[in-house]
Amino acid sequence: MPTFLKGFLERNGTGPGLLMLALVLFWVVGLIILPQLSMVDFSFRPNLPPPEIGGPKDVYTLDNYRHLVFGPKGSSADYNYVDLGVFFRTIVAAICITIFNLILCYPIAYYLGQTKGNHIRVLALMLIIPYWINEILRAFALRIIFGQTGVLNTLLVSLGIFDQPYDFIRNDIALYAGLGYAYILLMIFPIYNVIESLDRNQIEAARDMGASWWRIHRRVVIPYAKPGISSGCTMVFMLSAGALAAPQILGGPSSLWFTQIIYQWFNDNGNWPQGAAYAVVLLVSCILLVLTVMRLFKVNMGDIGK
Amino acid sequence: MSAGVGVDLQDLWIRFGDFVAVRDANVNINGGDFFSFLGPSGCGKTTILRAVSGFLEPSEGNVLIGGKNMKGIGPNKRPTALIFQNLALFPLMKVWENIAFSMEIQGASAKERRKRADELLDMIALSDQGDKLPSELSGGQRQRVAIARALCAEPDVLLLDEPLSALDLKLRQHMRTELREIQQRVGITFIYITHDQGEALTMSDNIAVMKAGVIDQIGTGKEVYNDPTTPFVASFVGENNVFRGKVSEISGTEALIASNRSGMLRARISTANQGKMRPGDDAMVFIRPEAFALAPASADNDHLVKARVTNEEFEGNAFNIFMEGDGGKEIKVAIPNLGQSFESRLGQTIALDYDIRNAVAMPAGEMATE
Amino acid sequence: MRFSFLRLSIWFYMALFFAYLLGPLVIMSVTAFNSPSFPRMTPWECLTFEWFSALFQDERILNGIKNSIIVGFGTVILSVSMGLAGALMLTQIWPKLRATYYTIIIAPILIPGVVLGISTLVFWDRINRLLGLGADSFLSNGLFLTIIGQSTFIASYCMLVLVARLQRYDIGLTEAALDLGATHAQAFRKILLPFMRPAIASAAVLAFLASFENYNTTTFTFGAYPTLTIELAQKVRYGITPAISALAFIIVVLTVLAALANEANIRRKELAAAANATTVATVSGGIRLPRFLSGNPAAIILVLCAVAVITVAGTAATYSPAQCISDIREQKRIETEKRIQELRREREEREQSKPETTEPAIDPSTTPQSNNSGFGGVFAPDALGIGDDGATAPIEQPEESSGFGGVFDPGNLTTAPETPPADTENTSGFGSVFNPETLGGTSD
Repeated sequence: MPTFLKGFLERNGTGPGLLMLALVLFWVVGLIILPQLSMVDFSFRPNLPPPEIGGPKDVYTLDNYRHLVFGPKGSSADYNYVDLGVFFRTIVAAICITIFNLILCYPIAYYLGQTKGNHIRVLALMLIIPYWINEILRAFALRIIFGQTGVLNTLLVSLGIFDQPYDFIRNDIALYAGLGYAYILLMIFPIYNVIESLDRNQIEAARDMGASWWRIHRRVVIPYAKPGISSGCTMVFMLSAGALAAPQILGGPSSLWFTQIIYQWFNDNGNWPQGAAYAVVLLVSCILLVLTVMRLFKVNMGDIGK
Repeated sequence: MSAGVGVDLQDLWIRFGDFVAVRDANVNINGGDFFSFLGPSGCGKTTILRAVSGFLEPSEGNVLIGGKNMKGIGPNKRPTALIFQNLALFPLMKVWENIAFSMEIQGASAKERRKRADELLDMIALSDQGDKLPSELSGGQRQRVAIARALCAEPDVLLLDEPLSALDLKLRQHMRTELREIQQRVGITFIYITHDQGEALTMSDNIAVMKAGVIDQIGTGKEVYNDPTTPFVASFVGENNVFRGKVSEISGTEALIASNRSGMLRARISTANQGKMRPGDDAMVFIRPEAFALAPASADNDHLVKARVTNEEFEGNAFNIFMEGDGGKEIKVAIPNLGQSFESRLGQTIALDYDIRNAVAMPAGEMATE
Repeated sequence: MRFSFLRLSIWFYMALFFAYLLGPLVIMSVTAFNSPSFPRMTPWECLTFEWFSALFQDERILNGIKNSIIVGFGTVILSVSMGLAGALMLTQIWPKLRATYYTIIIAPILIPGVVLGISTLVFWDRINRLLGLGADSFLSNGLFLTIIGQSTFIASYCMLVLVARLQRYDIGLTEAALDLGATHAQAFRKILLPFMRPAIASAAVLAFLASFENYNTTTFTFGAYPTLTIELAQKVRYGITPAISALAFIIVVLTVLAALANEANIRRKELAAAANATTVATVSGGIRLPRFLSGNPAAIILVLCAVAVITVAGTAATYSPAQCISDIREQKRIETEKRIQELRREREEREQSKPETTEPAIDPSTTPQSNNSGFGGVFAPDALGIGDDGATAPIEQPEESSGFGGVFDPGNLTTAPETPPADTENTSGFGSVFNPETLGGTSD
């Protein structure tokens, strides 16, 4: 390692090299690794008022995790059905949203990637513009549409499809639409990037050999686009499982998103260790799920972010 | 012009992990010389250049420029300028800014820089192209800009890393002459890296031929071509017919080799190998295609090869005649085009005579694979 | 045949997709100009600009914008420099470490923002305690924490943008500069940095936008410095007004203008490059356009948009919707009275048949809306035309109200009671009817 360091400083000059090293170390160690470890550590500690932190009561405990699984101490129920229910609902819903987004975006990404011309740039611009607009405002826009007297209900009732306004918000339709809406771009662009680099001749060759439209995609395009697809799916899944704004704004009153529970532990109940434990559970289970799926589809971590 | 600044490599070793890129190189380059390192790709010649320019610290040994040891001196402090294989012109700077970059580093004013750049642009015959971007120039023009940029730094030694490899044949040949002219005009030492023996032979005062990290021979173009020290040099520089066999007799500077398939061949022992060959040793005889002359089929002596004409190739200035000797031995012969034809001789066996001075004998060894 | 069918379905799909993508934004923008105090597009009542003035009088929004800009700049500086260092490191790091290193610096993109916010908060809180600093120290400052927390993952985005450009960099250029006498710092500043400049600019814009719109991380770290997004979220969660639509509209317009300007700039460069090759005067529609505009649709649209914005702003300054609003109010009053009469009649008929079961069925958990309750009035008559509230609207009999129950429009119940609506001056009492929406704006 010291030879590496010496070579590194030689290649970059001592001043710029040290600055670079300092920035990278600050980022990697100070912003990424240590805070995560610190959060994990914190999640194993009891919730104490500041003066008692570091004191004799500050010992490692599994209580915070126990709370998620079995509920508060002394509760009559066997399991913490509410929180666990929300947790699984969040994961399952995030998976559904990911699949929905993939189906929705694949044709668009394919079209954008394989068509040449000026109008593609316009379409790309139209894709990007919504993402320059605040996440909250996007959720707000959907709230306007899905509201009880919103555009959609007005339309549906006046067309006679429904005879009374449908409560999209209470039934979580607004939430799912909003989460799907929020991360479309993150699904399209990785797939688009890969498909754009796919040689059109491969498709033509396959078509030439009489392959059907479906077979071309199954045998040529999708295997080629796999890194992009997995990258997009990973991002959409992680972000929708970890979404907070959309559930807060679009979520129905009776259904919570797991992040909302975490938020409540922190901001409403002031129990940070408990919230940290829930956050660790969310993080670890999401990562495990993504890694499992990636292993299943034989994709590398290095493909993410391309 | 002064004699210029010489470069010495002393016992130079360069290793990358377990891999030895340069093995014990010892070279003295005279000031003002046009010196070439010639070798196939991967032979370590670029590594030597990077060690001279300071991008690489040698593992062992020293690089001396003008007699001064360069150990620990970075590339920006050495009196060298390197012309990169891909030229490495700064794409975002105008041509004149590129040329005067070294002055910008020294803090010269824009006016001074422009003046100097214009002088150099005149020299490379691109007077009115200074305000263009490098991408707007042709390959040959970019080539000249790279040279001007390097010269603007007023180096004592100019290092050129296969600078012509990206050009097409015609331009390459033109640039050879031009480079040589520039070198003679500025009078500084040029160290030139190439795998093209034509470039090395036409331009250089001296050539070092390298094989797998080892310098096989250093000498003028004529020495390297006419008097190779190793089978590798003989086969890498120019075209050669090789005859393997055993030494049967040594007489002074000549040897009689019992070749495996072409009978007894008498040849001159190359200078470096004189006194090193003993009867019974494995040996090789190299005879250039142009060294053969047609002889009567009846001729019989020890500087004669007999073979059957299998193919003829017309190259304009010469005929290449491909022949097959005993046991399938392939021989290539080049005959100047004097209006004759060999088509009628296809399939005939003819005798090829050569001058013993043009046949070089040396101990058997590894040849170039090309 | 089949080909054209395919093509048609592609276009149909694209149209649907972009409607999903852009429709909400368009609708939201339109609601900023409609007078009802609940943002809605239908029914269209009066063109109004009052939501914009409401917006600009909102201290919290303005303060949020200020904080967002401070955080944005801090994040841009920190994350672009960390991203650049990270990207440079990636090209040089020991090959054996490269995959691990890449995984680590890409991970923040995948870590949920909530988790990043929490870990930042917890970690710096601990550092703060270790150093024995108080709760008001720099390390627990909301701005510092927010910048740090956001930069953790925004730097990863920057790194991706920068690495893409860096991969096309020829390290020989740096070597050439060194060879010509430059120091490492000079080579970096004069060669690498100019080469990276376009990517750095993109990364900076990306970082600013990502910072500006970040909610998940910031919501844990903002402390005493709520950013615009935090303020918006508070507002949206506890009652929505068209003032937010107005803000959204401004952001949409700015975004579109910026995108068009960017597009026009690219096109201009392309045209300039093309003009270098062939100097052909471009004539458009017989009228010679200025050089900047010729053959550049984006630039033309940009200019048109700018003109439109100026016109609208000019109109807004002079236009007064008061007349229209009072007309609408009057019209509604009449309609509602009719409706009340009907209801009263119905009710009397019903009472004659059997006693009514009163059901105070306002679901307390419904995300509540503008506070209309408490007054026995009949609200939101405009909504009556839409839904058949006979079925869904719960009937309530508040104490102060007249003998007959008010009719609530369920749609109107979805505004939060926590934020007292601006229209509380309605106390018209018995049987009186008012439209909260028409009043909401004028109260400012």
